[in-house]
Amino acid sequence: MIDVDAVTIDYGQGEQTVRAVENVSFRLDKGKSLALIGPSGCGKTSLLFALSGLIHPRSGKITIDGKEVDTPRRDVALILQNAGLLPWKTVWQNANLSLLLNGEFPQQNAAEVLAHLGLDDVMTRFPAELSEGMKRRVGIARALSTSPSVLLMDEPLASLDTLTREKIQDLFLNLWHEHGFSMILVTHNIEEAAFLGQRIIVFTDRPARISTIVDNSQMGSLDYRGDTDFQGIMSQLREALEA
Amino acid sequence: MKRVLTYVISIAALLFAWEMASIAVNVINHAAILPGPFDALSQVVKNAAELRRNFAASAWRLILAILISLATAMPLGLLTGREPTLDRFFSPIIYITYPIPQVALILFLFVVFGTGSATKVAMVALALFFQILVSARGAAKNIDEEYVTSVLSAGASRWQVYWHVVLPATLPQILTSVRVSIGLGIAFLYIAETRAALGTGLGSYINKHMLFSRGRAFAGIVAMALLGLLLYIAVDVIERIACRWKYVKRRPLK
Repeated sequence: MIDVDAVTIDYGQGEQTVRAVENVSFRLDKGKSLALIGPSGCGKTSLLFALSGLIHPRSGKITIDGKEVDTPRRDVALILQNAGLLPWKTVWQNANLSLLLNGEFPQQNAAEVLAHLGLDDVMTRFPAELSEGMKRRVGIARALSTSPSVLLMDEPLASLDTLTREKIQDLFLNLWHEHGFSMILVTHNIEEAAFLGQRIIVFTDRPARISTIVDNSQMGSLDYRGDTDFQGIMSQLREALEA
Repeated sequence: MKRVLTYVISIAALLFAWEMASIAVNVINHAAILPGPFDALSQVVKNAAELRRNFAASAWRLILAILISLATAMPLGLLTGREPTLDRFFSPIIYITYPIPQVALILFLFVVFGTGSATKVAMVALALFFQILVSARGAAKNIDEEYVTSVLSAGASRWQVYWHVVLPATLPQILTSVRVSIGLGIAFLYIAETRAALGTGLGSYINKHMLFSRGRAFAGIVAMALLGLLLYIAVDVIERIACRWKYVKRRPLK
């Protein structure tokens, strides 16, 4: 279980202090999904970085499975906005970076993940040789290489065209069902939040505070986009963001 | 093929301009002051053995100086670019010492290292040190933070960040500064080699012949240009291999 307890995040010191997140609390049970939505620059990425152990809250506490998060952990994977691929490493090296950094060798599983994501033909290519959709798949392969129990995503589909975006949203949903990880998605896209978040937390403008929590437990199937509930959730989110 | 042809045309244009300049200078002065390219090239052939010896002496000094300045300035530049505490300490030192004309220290270097190769190598290494230091520091400061976040979130240690991100991300800019440094290094090497009364090296060779055998002196200048060209090509080859990712383009799946 992920437990975020009264977390406040500040940047800078003294008079230069900027508050990014203020007194945010929520819990997420194992294997569930949560979308964090709010205006651009409101502080939701800061909260995600705190969940991944990259930054520390000024006050409050974050625990995953009862253990306080203070550094990046092997069982928590983070997918960044542009997939976070290193341009000087090949697809294979990028996909297995987490393993290599931890002194482990890619197992048979790594090749299978790449093949499953349709990347087996491009393993020796560099990111610059790939389409944007392919790059996101490599980012996903990297995140899955350590078989994480928590998958954190920071606007993972930003700047993709609609069709590619939907294809990768479908892929996320399938992988979530297959692997059973807990998933937290930061986005400013209403449709994405409604498609991938079982629960959706709407944040205020900076500093990010929780303004509304929307239950979306009907999600989970690929044809949810055509459902009237999906349209209803999108309207609720739009209203909450405009409030 | 087209590329080779362009090179041939551009070299032919350079030789033509040199020949024209030679004719003009010699006609205006009514004396053979500036040798033409064919004069100089025939002297290259005639003095091949002597030139080869001096070329080798200059080449190893320049290469050694580049390697010494890379080995010292690159790590210091990358560290000061990434570590704010180190940067605060070293920045004032860099800003004060960088503008000092290194050539002003040449006599001091002769006193310290003597008149042998050590002084010449030290002189060039000192000049290139600041070029590479400033360039590496700037490149390290401008790294896209997403790359750093990416490896940190995957569990990288501080040194792994340097190895997997800082070094490869800055290498193209550092190699560009090495390219710039080749021209500067040759100029400093020339100065250092001409200051030693008797010595080897193309600088010394050019200096020795400039007054009474200008054709031979210009043969030395051609050899120096060739030295620069060969080093440029070597850096290009190194970049093509070490930064292969920079030269790829998006291509469709088979």
